[in-house]
Amino acid sequence: MTEFTRELDTSGLNCPMPILRTKKALKDLQSGEILKVVATDPGTVKDMEAFAKQTGNALLEASTEGDSFIYRLQKG
Amino acid sequence: MELTNIHLVAGAGFLLAMVLGAVMNRTNFCTMGAVSDWVNMGLNGRFAAWVLAMGIAVAGAQVLELLGLVDLQSSIYRTANFGWLGYMVGGLLFGIGMTLAGGCGQRSLVRLGSGNLKSLVVVLVLGITAYATLGGILGLLRVNYFGPVAIDLASHGVEDQGLATLLGGLSGMAVGSGMRWLIAALVALLLIGWALRQPALRSSVDNLLGGIVTGLCVVGAWVITGVYGLDDFDPVRVESLTFIAPTGNTINYAMTFTGATINFGIAVVLGMIAGSFLYALLSRSFRIETFTDRTDMCNHLIGAVLMGFGGVLALGCTIGQGVSGVSTLAAGSFVAMICIVIGCALTLKVQYHLMDEPGFFRALLRGIADLLMPWRAD
Repeated sequence: MTEFTRELDTSGLNCPMPILRTKKALKDLQSGEILKVVATDPGTVKDMEAFAKQTGNALLEASTEGDSFIYRLQKG
Repeated sequence: MELTNIHLVAGAGFLLAMVLGAVMNRTNFCTMGAVSDWVNMGLNGRFAAWVLAMGIAVAGAQVLELLGLVDLQSSIYRTANFGWLGYMVGGLLFGIGMTLAGGCGQRSLVRLGSGNLKSLVVVLVLGITAYATLGGILGLLRVNYFGPVAIDLASHGVEDQGLATLLGGLSGMAVGSGMRWLIAALVALLLIGWALRQPALRSSVDNLLGGIVTGLCVVGAWVITGVYGLDDFDPVRVESLTFIAPTGNTINYAMTFTGATINFGIAVVLGMIAGSFLYALLSRSFRIETFTDRTDMCNHLIGAVLMGFGGVLALGCTIGQGVSGVSTLAAGSFVAMICIVIGCALTLKVQYHLMDEPGFFRALLRGIADLLMPWRAD
């Protein structure tokens, strides 16, 4: 459950940067590949869920690790 | 200390703002986030929440005015002085600023309450810039370049910049109270109707709650300053919620406390922080956040300056002009609000393209192209 194709660290950044960077990173992936996103902005919890649902990319994981939020998105 | 009218008005404003701060923290109500959701993921739930707040505020404020309960005419929004360049440039700069700073004035106060020290920096710089723009060094720029091009509607025989009055002035018809009721009802219905038609608003309790409470608090603020605070011997300014100039006033108040008097705007700024703080404690979501990135800190500082300057120039922020101003049906408030949205959307696009474009101007051109032809955008 922990494999990913690319990792994106948005630690310290607030809305809208984590979503903008996630969007850009996903654009460069192939369908089926997995992007791991690390964030510290609590706002990303709702944002990432909405982003995945809205853009047709599956949110495989949303968890916390220490002070960070970890997401894994699979490009649709 | 004897409690005078201004203390009672400020106290009521503080309590109202505490409720709003808590609700905004809970619901993630954010006008920059609203534009970001829409531009970046095609989701308009938070934008619809903002529009719902406008609609409710228009309905409430107009009923109060047309029943003769609140004198909206004496607020800063609907004067005969139509400072179109200030609304446009100020709005654009504010929109750019709130995107760079990760949220507008209101959002920064809420995030400060929940422990975000980046927002503390934004609030301080924004407030000081606002103060400098009101009567300081930046005020010269405002008065010398933006003041002279303002249109004095009174010299064209139009009393003020209210939509109804403008319509009367342009058509040559006399606008009676029936016409004013009709225009107010149409605008309120249009805004509320559009918002409630959006599935992303209807399906989200938080978005509905954020929009409704924001709208009601703006109406509540008109009641506090316009009805509750009405006192011929100890008058207070008729105003509603706004967050840029009052943030500057709050900093000044803190520094000159012993010789200063509180006012409604200062109490609202403090109430927002307090409400958000209490909610963060109760929901165990209080957490200290700091800058970790050099570019990010530069962006926040530039954003805070642009919001402080632009917000004063445009006479308000996303709430001040975008909801309170709009609720008076002043034409300039609609201009400022639309320019804020354009500035924000364009900045989001430029930031997106800057991630893989070699230069700023190419990113800017691509961003403008995206906004003009949204169907071709990424």
